[in-house]
Amino acid sequence: MIELKEVSLEYQNGTLALKDINLHIGQGELVYIAGPSGSGKTSLLKLLMGMENPTAGTVTVLGKSLTNAKPRKISRIRRKIGPVFQDLKLIPGRSALENVLMGVRFLNFSWAKKNENALIAIERVGLAHKAYSMVENLSLGELQRVALARAIAREPKIIIADEPTANLDHDNAVNIFNILSSLKNQNITVIVATHATHLFDPKENFTLIRMDQGSISIEKRFCSNGERDIDTQMHQRSIRVERRGDV
Amino acid sequence: MKNFISNIGYFFKEARRICRTNKLSNVFTFLGTTLVLLLLALAVAGWSVSSRLVFMLEREAEVSAFFHNSISQSEAQALAGQIATFDGVLDASVIDEAEAFNRMEDILADEAGVLELFDENPFEAYIEIRIKPQKVSQIVEKLNNLPQIESVRDNKDILDQLSSLTNALSAIGYLVVIAVGITTIIIISHMIRQGIYNNREQINTLRLLGAPGSFIGLPFVLVGMLITISAGMLALGIALLLILYSYGRIGSTLSFIPLPVKSELMLIVTTVLVSVSVLLGILGSVFGLSSITKKSSPSS
Repeated sequence: MIELKEVSLEYQNGTLALKDINLHIGQGELVYIAGPSGSGKTSLLKLLMGMENPTAGTVTVLGKSLTNAKPRKISRIRRKIGPVFQDLKLIPGRSALENVLMGVRFLNFSWAKKNENALIAIERVGLAHKAYSMVENLSLGELQRVALARAIAREPKIIIADEPTANLDHDNAVNIFNILSSLKNQNITVIVATHATHLFDPKENFTLIRMDQGSISIEKRFCSNGERDIDTQMHQRSIRVERRGDV
Repeated sequence: MKNFISNIGYFFKEARRICRTNKLSNVFTFLGTTLVLLLLALAVAGWSVSSRLVFMLEREAEVSAFFHNSISQSEAQALAGQIATFDGVLDASVIDEAEAFNRMEDILADEAGVLELFDENPFEAYIEIRIKPQKVSQIVEKLNNLPQIESVRDNKDILDQLSSLTNALSAIGYLVVIAVGITTIIIISHMIRQGIYNNREQINTLRLLGAPGSFIGLPFVLVGMLITISAGMLALGIALLLILYSYGRIGSTLSFIPLPVKSELMLIVTTVLVSVSVLLGILGSVFGLSSITKKSSPSS
């Protein structure tokens, strides 16, 4: 589904954002990418979205190489991805529903399906009562959920969310995480970059990628059997599986 | 295609929104395009009138070939038939002495009494040849090579000037059409680029969501086309009113000018303006849109 081989990314100002990343993410996986600011989380997601070109190595998403791909090819791959951007990228002057519809209008769905998907997605994130509210009148938490609804309505194969709970209070953040983790049950690959490691649901199976200074420092899969803090599980009781090898 | 049809409502809604958000700029674009297209309409009308004038003058272009006195009437008719086959000759007919005299009487009108001073008809028979002015040199050369022809009166200077006038009018016409076309394309494409700039964040978001360029660009093309076509319609309305007014004025004061039929002229101006508006609207929008397609991924 997603494959990165010996990938490095160096920006024009000389900053080395990613160093020799090797990564494989399979279909239906829930993957959290954690790490301090500037560790390369967003750069990694940008590579997966075709927003950056690797300076070395190859990036393959949904079986298609994104390395030096033409814009049209990148667009086709992006149509199969549901992105939740860190800055949300909602379109002002429109309602929540219109924003969700903007993400599906150009997809190859029937007119009825586009509308149905948008309404279901809005309902799924708990904003049915605000579907026709202008985005300017929504709270930050509600805006985060509109952005998530836009991603879900596209029936994507992959959801990529960059800090989807930033600036949210605890309840809203847990709500977003619950929705995201529920998506993997629909065989959707969910990749979430976040600082909020304390919000991971220990009952879920997920992969945690820890990033530091452009490298993947820890990469484990946890099959939790309790409600313990995730960091404790990491060090004590979780089943650890090295990704390169037995996944 | 299915996608396109299901999104038609959206495209028009977006186009209306783009128009509203760039209202002042679009109003100026509309007025500027109207004036440019009005100039085109007037140029087309002027071209049509002058072409008609030139056509009428061209129809009068003729040379006179005088043949030897020894040639009989029937030989002269045969010679006229031969000349009529020359390239550039519209028709050729024999004018006998009596007809030549009558024509001069008509020309002189009140002064025709002067002809009575002659004891006998001073005019000779000749062959009147109506020609295309552009071919005058070749035709005169061929006539001079005919042994039966004694002399040729060609009015070459006048015919050459007429030919130059025709060419000049055509050149001016083409120049105006090209100038109007380029100006309109620049105005419309600039307006589209400004619209794209004002909506750059939305366009960027749509790109990141994987929207194809055609989906992003179509509302802008629609705006360009709607503004150009509306400007074309307004320019057409003003031009038609001006034609109606001018025909009333010229018909009564300058009646010797051979104006084309009013309805024909209006049809020509309408056809040209509508088709040019649509064409320029599309071209202007496409040029403007190039800024969307040129700016490629991966950075956006």
